[in-house]
Amino acid sequence: MSRALTGIRVLDLTDESGQYCGKLLCDLGADVTLVEPPNGSSVRHRGPFIDGRDDGEHGIAFTYFNAGKHGVCLDLDSVQGREEFLRLVANADVVIESEKPGKMVARGISYDQLKRINPAIVMTSITPFGQTGPYAEFESDDIVCLALGGMLHLGGYHDSYPIAAGGNQAYLAAAQFAAVATLLAIHSVEEAREPRQGRHIDVSVQECVVMGMENAIQFYDLEGVVRRREAGQQRWAGTGVFDCIDGQVYVMAGGIVPARFREANVHWLIDEGVEGAAQMLDPRWASQDFQTTEEARRIFHDLFAPFARQHTKEWLYHEGQSRRIPICPVNTPADLLGNRQLNARGHFVDVQHTASGKAFRMPGAPYMLSATPWKAPGPAPLLGEHSRQVLARAAGTEAAG
Amino acid sequence: MNKFPLSGVRVADFTWIGAGSFTTKLLADFGAEVIKIESADRLDSLRVSRPFKDGVEGVNRSGYFSDRNSSKQSITLNLKHSEGQALARRLISVSDVVANNFTPGTMEKFGLGYDAVREIRPDAIYLAMSMQGARGPDSSYLGYGLTIGALTGLQHVSGLPDREPAGTGTNYPDHIPNPCHAAFATLAALRHRRRTGEGQYIDVAQTEPTIALLGPTILQYTANGIDASRTGNERQHATPHGVFPCAGADRWIALSIRSPAHWNALLDVLEASGWLRDSRFNCAEQRRESRLEIESAIQRLTRERDANVLMAQLQAQGVPAGTVRTARDIVEDDPQLRHRGHWVTLDHPEMGNSLYNAPPFRISETGVTPSRPAPLLGQHTDEVLHGLLGLGADEIARLRKDGALR
Repeated sequence: MSRALTGIRVLDLTDESGQYCGKLLCDLGADVTLVEPPNGSSVRHRGPFIDGRDDGEHGIAFTYFNAGKHGVCLDLDSVQGREEFLRLVANADVVIESEKPGKMVARGISYDQLKRINPAIVMTSITPFGQTGPYAEFESDDIVCLALGGMLHLGGYHDSYPIAAGGNQAYLAAAQFAAVATLLAIHSVEEAREPRQGRHIDVSVQECVVMGMENAIQFYDLEGVVRRREAGQQRWAGTGVFDCIDGQVYVMAGGIVPARFREANVHWLIDEGVEGAAQMLDPRWASQDFQTTEEARRIFHDLFAPFARQHTKEWLYHEGQSRRIPICPVNTPADLLGNRQLNARGHFVDVQHTASGKAFRMPGAPYMLSATPWKAPGPAPLLGEHSRQVLARAAGTEAAG
Repeated sequence: MNKFPLSGVRVADFTWIGAGSFTTKLLADFGAEVIKIESADRLDSLRVSRPFKDGVEGVNRSGYFSDRNSSKQSITLNLKHSEGQALARRLISVSDVVANNFTPGTMEKFGLGYDAVREIRPDAIYLAMSMQGARGPDSSYLGYGLTIGALTGLQHVSGLPDREPAGTGTNYPDHIPNPCHAAFATLAALRHRRRTGEGQYIDVAQTEPTIALLGPTILQYTANGIDASRTGNERQHATPHGVFPCAGADRWIALSIRSPAHWNALLDVLEASGWLRDSRFNCAEQRRESRLEIESAIQRLTRERDANVLMAQLQAQGVPAGTVRTARDIVEDDPQLRHRGHWVTLDHPEMGNSLYNAPPFRISETGVTPSRPAPLLGQHTDEVLHGLLGLGADEIARLRKDGALR
């Protein structure tokens, strides 16, 4: 069966801020080669590690984000490495990179230089703040981008300091937008008549984080209200985290949801014999403004919290959903592996890990495409695993050409 | 050459609320002709959600709605009316992409499921993005970004270990993971169609992209048996790592100290003295062992400082540091976002000048976007029915009178 991104050859020079971009391309059929420095990508040594082994071949993030890619080692700061890289570029469609602005120029492999070798090349550059501007040279990390992009200020409890979301969400946001941008550019290049002209894409991690501000920007722009953190309390009466026997549930029966979901939740409590629940059918509860009052939050809490505490998260989930109420368990990773819906969809896949000789279960298709399905990747490359093969092929192409 | 990549691609857009609208915004901002099918009888709930221009409620006044719908056209069709459905089919027959984020079965109820669409438009790319996917025991379940954050594990791994899970404080999956994955899949399907002429059905469960992002956390369980939980701002790769108070109310600076050079530069800028200067703290492991004492000491040294001044001083010495920006700060005070032209002011027919996000990347040879504000409810109904579908004014008036265009 043909694949959506068949024939697209990608050179992936990124570190942790970009490797998910290459994964997205690879898993739909692009031929992705991870180009690492001679001592390997820094992500190889980012913990945690499979079996706790920090030997460059057991990094969990590396194993996941690079599954299915080919691996080549090149010293891009050397003359020979640069020449070998340019030979690869001559036969590539996309270069993804996450070096500091100016580094690719200094190496003699900037977009303008690559364009001379391959005028149709798409180069996707992912940096914390973009290629130019007052912060372009800043040092960064995921949490620094979350801070300057605004999401950090919204994360955490109403009475706490700001708390970063788990799992490098700033870098991942950039990798995702970079993947979208790359396909937009490929679309332009492939649609164009000869001679095809490539594109340079400038992705800023900070700017990608800003996209996660939800309605906070508009609250400031239109109403002059600066939104703050709000975990640890209901966002609107009826919307928030509640403890149950074995963890928590998130119920969303207030705020932007239609009135019927909010009312279904009230009827649930009435059916369960929760005394006083009927007061929440009073017309004043229909207003989002009333739902943000202390009074409304307190009333909802005093009625719903004792009820939730008597049940498991699975029971509350399925019973609530059968009543058309948006309620979900707060799942742990282990819960996800046992989730009946994900398993019915065959979401998790087993991917081989070369160094241990074992296969490990990991998230699979993030979408199902009927004609060009997502395919489970092969293992992540060992350091330099495909160097000889890939570089010889590039040299051969040049000799033949 | 300022042509947009997707000019010539038409999208019949049945999406609403968060994730769906953000997906088609990405397509619209890059030149696709996105026609949003709405109904006054079944309003996109964001049209009636705060914030409103000047705080005054109205279906054309919500900023929550407008930012997600730049560059689109809006028509109103009553999909419960047979003639409304017939118009939707005609629109689909001239569209390349058909998008929705309803619960499975809803489009089928309107006669607009994939099988029906394929009859009308064999090479259509049909994007369905329900909460949990088109099939499976929980496929009819309801959700929003916040509950999806809980279901996918993101909520569980975000927050303090000894308190309830905090999550991101936003409907995060709606804003980045789901729109990016859905747009990426749609663009991949467009490429396949360009090469083969074949359309296809795309099923995005609004849980799976966020789970994909948590791959390392899942692998930590499947490979090592560790069911990971939240760790506040603590991370293995850097100490100190987190936020430190600065002068003013709710003002903070984020730091990530990963090397002896970062650590010593931090101490220099903060003019630290005494035990913090012990050379053993050049070692990351030693800093981790004394993490709480070190963090308290650093807090005492940052507390009186202005966050932006401190950021500039630290960055000048090569220390990864960033002010924790509020929404106001990133609109008014961020020179980098201003340099990139991230904020675009567009003149909306009812809201006047209001702020929109530009896409967070720049593509060379491509124009500045967005340039058109969100549409009023049904603003383009006549224009689309006449201009695109060729209906006469009398026919449109009759359909309106019959309730097909509500």
